[in-house]
Parts: sequence; C-alpha cells; structure tokens
Amino acid sequence: MRVTDKSIANNNLIGMQRNLERLAKLQQEASSGLKINSPGDDPVGAQKALQLQGTLSDNTQYARNIVTGTAWLGQADNAMSGMGDIVSRAHEIAMQMSTGTVSAENRAAAVSEVTQLTAQMVQLGNTQVGGKFIFGGFNNETTPFDASGAFTGTDDTVNLQVGKNSQVAMNYSGGKLLNGTAGGVNVFAELQNLSTALSTDNQSGLQGSLTSLDTAHNQLVSARSEMGSRMVRVESATTSLDSMNVTLNTDLSGTQNADIIKTYTDLTSQQTAYQASLTATTKISQLSLLNYLK
Amino acid sequence: MSVMGILNLASKALAAQKTAIDVTGQNIANVSTVGYSRQSVVLETSGGSVDYLNVTGDGVRVAAVQRSKDAFLQAQTLGETSTSGKESALQNAMAQVEPLFTDTTTTGLGTALQNFYNSWQDLANNPQGSAERQAVLSSAQTVVDNFHQLSQSMNDQLTQTNSSLTTTTDTISTSLKQVADLNAQIKILEVGGGSANQLRDNRDQLLKGLAQKVGISTQEQSDGTMTVTLGSSSGGPTLVSGATASILGTDGGNPAAIMLKANAADGGTDVTAQISADARSGELGGALQVRDQLLPGFLGTLDQTASSLATQVNSLHASGTGLNGSTGVDFFTSPTVTSGYSGLMALSITSPNDVAASGTPSTGTGDNTNALALAGLKNGAITVGGSQTTVPGLYGSLVANVGVAVQNAAQGVSQSSAMLTQLDNLRESQVGVNMDEELSNLISFQKGYEGAAKLIVTGQEMIDTVLNMVK
Repeated sequence: MRVTDKSIANNNLIGMQRNLERLAKLQQEASSGLKINSPGDDPVGAQKALQLQGTLSDNTQYARNIVTGTAWLGQADNAMSGMGDIVSRAHEIAMQMSTGTVSAENRAAAVSEVTQLTAQMVQLGNTQVGGKFIFGGFNNETTPFDASGAFTGTDDTVNLQVGKNSQVAMNYSGGKLLNGTAGGVNVFAELQNLSTALSTDNQSGLQGSLTSLDTAHNQLVSARSEMGSRMVRVESATTSLDSMNVTLNTDLSGTQNADIIKTYTDLTSQQTAYQASLTATTKISQLSLLNYLK
Repeated sequence: MSVMGILNLASKALAAQKTAIDVTGQNIANVSTVGYSRQSVVLETSGGSVDYLNVTGDGVRVAAVQRSKDAFLQAQTLGETSTSGKESALQNAMAQVEPLFTDTTTTGLGTALQNFYNSWQDLANNPQGSAERQAVLSSAQTVVDNFHQLSQSMNDQLTQTNSSLTTTTDTISTSLKQVADLNAQIKILEVGGGSANQLRDNRDQLLKGLAQKVGISTQEQSDGTMTVTLGSSSGGPTLVSGATASILGTDGGNPAAIMLKANAADGGTDVTAQISADARSGELGGALQVRDQLLPGFLGTLDQTASSLATQVNSLHASGTGLNGSTGVDFFTSPTVTSGYSGLMALSITSPNDVAASGTPSTGTGDNTNALALAGLKNGAITVGGSQTTVPGLYGSLVANVGVAVQNAAQGVSQSSAMLTQLDNLRESQVGVNMDEELSNLISFQKGYEGAAKLIVTGQEMIDTVLNMVK
C-alpha cells in the first residue's frame, strides 16, 4: 500500500490518543480504586453493586434495630429478675409466717414489708428504656401500672426488624406478666392476699399464698426465659448479619473494586506503550528524502 | 526539423517541465491540507507537423493536470462519516446523562431511597420520636429532590437537543447552498476547458462535513455537478441538483419536525421519519434518536419508579394513623398520571405528627406496625411491564440501562472511527501526498528542465556555427 506522510501522521496521532485514553482510564481506576466509576464502565456490575450496597445498608439498619431491641430485652430481663426476687421474698415471708408458733403481732409486723414489696413491684412494672415504659405495650408513654398494680397499658407486641424476613418482639405485656390477663396469676392480687392474710392472722390463708406465690414465680420465670430465648434469636441475628456482611463485602469489592495489582501492572505496561508511541512518532518524522538532498 | 525548430522544441520542454515542477510544488505545499487530492501532470509527446523532415515529433506538451480520485472510497467515506456523526451525537448525549447516575461511587437517588426506607425502620424503633418523624420527612424530601433533579436534567437535555435540531439544519442548509454554488462554478470552469481541481477538493470536503450532519448520497453528473440526495441509500429526496439547493429546517415545535423545503417560501415536506429510520443519519439522526427514544425511555422508567413509590407508600400510609390521630392521609402527592410524575412529585404532609407510624385502629402511640410495614416496602413487589420488581430494583434497572446505552454509544463511536481511519488511510494511499515521491519527481523534472535549457544553448551554438559559415 502506498503510504503518505499524512497517513503516517494520522496513524501516529490515533495511536497516541488511543494509548493516552487507555492510560487515563487505568489511572482513574488506580486513583479511585474502583473499576466501576460510572454505569457505563459495567452496566451489569453497576446494577449488582447498587443491589449489594442496598443490602449492606439494610444490614447496617438491622444492626441499629438490634441495638434498640437488645436494650429493651436486657432491661426487661433485669426487671423480671427483680420481680422474681420480690415474689421469692414474699414466698419466704409466707413460709416463715405460716408456722403455728408465729404470733399475730409478728404477722401484723410483716405486713409493712409486703407493702414495700408491692411498691417495688409497681416500680419494676414501670421500668423505662429511653423514656418508654417497656411493659406498656403500645401505650408506652404513661406508667402502665398505678400504685395498686392495676394495668393501664396494652397487650400489643412491639416488633423490630432484625433481618430481611425476621422480626423479633422486643417487649412483654405487663398485663400478662403481672396481672395475669392471659389466664395467669395476678401477682399484685397475690401480694395483696398475703398482706390480708398477715394482717388478719389467717394461717390457712398464708398456706394458700405459698402455692399461689409459687405459681406467680413460675409465671415470671417462664416469661423471663421467653425473653432469654428472644435475646438468643437477636444475638444469632447479629452473628448472621456479620457473616452475611463479610460475604456481601467480598462480593461488592469483587464487583466494583479494581484489582490493584492488575491495574498497576496494566498501568505500567500502558505507560510503556504510550512512551513507545511517542518515541516512534519522533523517530519516523526524522526520516525523509529531504535529509539526503543537499 | 530546422535549427530554429530545436529552439522551439526546447522552449516547449522548458514550459512543460516548469508546469510539472509547479504541480509538484502545489502537492508539496498541500502535504498537510485536509481533503487535498494529489495532482499529477500528464505529459505527452507533441507531434502533428506535416514537415516530412520532422520524423522525431516536436517535443512535449502538458495534456492535463490530473486530480487523483476514487469515487467508491468517497461514497464509503461519506456513509461512515454519517455513522460516526450519529454515534458521536449519542455519545455526547450519554456523556451528559451518565454523571446523573453515580450511585455506585457517591450518592444519588438509589442512596436516597435506601435512606428513606431506613428512616422508617428508625421510626419503628421509636414511633413517638419527633426526631425520627422529622427524619422520615427529610429523607422523603431528599428522595423527591433527587427525582426532581434527574427529571429536570433530562428534560433540559431534551429541550436542548430539540433546539439543537434547528442549528444543525441551518448548518446543513448553508452547506447545501455552498455545494450548489461550487457545482455552478465547476461546471463553468470545466466546460471552458479549465481545471476545477481545487473546487472539487473543496466540494468533497463540504460533502464530508454534510455527511457528518446528515446521511446523504451523491451522484456525479457528466457536466461535473454533484447531485446530493437525502438518506444514506440512493433514491431519497433531492437536496442539491446542479446549482439548485433545497433547504432543511424545522417547524419550530417541541418536538420539532424536520422539514425539507424547495425554497424559503415552501411549506416543506416532513422528513423526520425518514432521517430517524436511517442507521447512517449523521448528527441530525443522532439528535432525533436522543430526543425521541433514548431520553424519553429513561424518563419513562424514572416516572414509573416515582409513581410506583408514591402509590405504594400512599396506600400503606393512608391505612395508618398519625401521632395526632390523623388517618387516610397521603404521604406523597397522588400520582394521577405517571408520565412526568418524577418532576411533579411532592410531599403531601408537612407536620411530623401526620407521619402514620401506627396501624388503624391504633391502641397507643407506641404502635409501630405501620412504620415496619412501610420500611418493608423496600422489598415490596411491583409489576412493571409484566415482570415483578421492587422500587429500588426498578431504579437499578434504569442505572443499568443508562450504562448499556453509554457502552453502546462508546462502542459505536470506536467502531465507526476505526472504519473512518481505515478509509482515510485508503484514501490517503490513493490520493494523498507522499513527500519522498514528490521530491524524486522534483529531481526528475528539474533534470528535465536543465536538459531543455542545455538544448537551447546547443541550439544557439548551432545557429552561431551556421552564421559563422557565412563570414
């Protein structure tokens, strides 16, 4: 093919431009560390990266939800443990006072401790996390228990999202727990019965209290173990979020991050190529018949 | 031949070599001129004397100064230039659209949507919290702002593309007029036996510029004029015939139609469809594709995303209860028409207490059921065009579509520019100037000139010899 000076110049120019373009692309990859800098770099990859970023962001949110949930569940556990102690103490009093040797005066003197215990129970029933009464159901901005132990909250379950398809209830109904609204024992009523039996020196009443306080204790323990199992679920959700995040991050970095070693290797070889095209351009234009015409 | 004849022959040779050197000079001078076609001098022996003594002929003469050309290459180059024009127009348009979708590296609508769903989760954690309620409203506002910005940018580009049609057609009309003028000049010059090589070079350049703007076919007539028709395959309406040029314009509307007019007073024929359908339709066709297919496609998906989001959120939100007991309230303005909704979308509520985190009927302010349901909309199925997706999924597909369009345009440009380079090289190899060749020609013509001069000296000496004989 016949070659002209202009076609040589054109080819050189195109070659240099192409090399420079590739160099610029690689330099962008190297400096940003990303192989997808805009959708056009890899449309499918960009879509996948968006999806992965969305899932990662979801998981961050679930982790935040879990923090709130853990606080509620932990506080409920503390409160329930305190409630159990109160009932145990009441049981102890009933036990001590139910023996025949105890005088009516001694029994009457124990009433004040039971009143104290009832007040503590009300206080525990009104436990708060971040200004919310955790045993109040949906009605969690006002005290769910009044001084007599009557429940004014709701039995609703407050759920939290801890995974894409999993929700965990982070509260326990105070009514069910202490008023026995779901067919259980009314703890406050039992304390009241104990107090009445003590003040009226009713030994058989005290013996009756022993059984019912046992039932009340069991009710509290089983509620506490339910909270414990929820805590386990939340913890396992955290673990699975963590392991999922590892996989997602690996996938995301595989999708959008540049392989730095490869990028740098390519960058070096591209720099060499560009240098070669520059050198070739200067070399070729030195050769001409003009050099020999004197 | 007489002795005087030798002088005559020598002077003709001098003139012929001089012309050849002139032509070589012209070639050397234009070594870098774009569109220049190499010229060569055609020398032939001069004869035709009836003198019986003249058996050698009487020297040399310039038969023609020829311009190298290749009509086939020219036609191919025009076609490929049109493709390149179209692909460049698409690439330029996509270069403006692509930066709008940078979610993978920075923030954008995708991130805004994600934050919007997350804000509902935060609200579910604390349904009475005024900060959380405010956060839902402000993240929703960010979503709305993002939709507005995308819609506005693409609509601006639509308007800009539409008005660029008028500029392009004006440029085309000017070029058509120039081609027609050159046709007239070339015809006059060549009928009179002159050489119109420079004018032909100019005309070829004009046609190439014209092909960049719109697909054309050309046909050279026997009188040297070039007939130009619209469309990359022959048979389209005539743009230039002889010294007459048509006018390409728009009807000024939005979207504007491309009108072909015989003269300024003519109402014109609508050729929009014909240009659109042509794969090699130049910048004009590229602009039409951007205006009629590319951008409306993206805007359609964007509108669909916005209206699906609003419909989904509104339906759940209206079924819930706000902190102030309000119920049946829309969260976003209702999308009565999908088309254009992304630009019109707005928040329908302003008070944080109107945010319906609770279900209906609500048993207490701690009710977070609706907030949870709204947060779950991130994975809420919507049906678009017969297939199931989600709002973030729909947006993801929009990003992917933009990416594909960018890739296609880049590929189109690189292919057509590779083809053009190839064709340019072919053209150069046939009609371009090679300096070495010109220099060696120069040497041979110079030697010829020196020889002819020597001939005159010899002739003079011969005459002197004859004259001295008489003494």
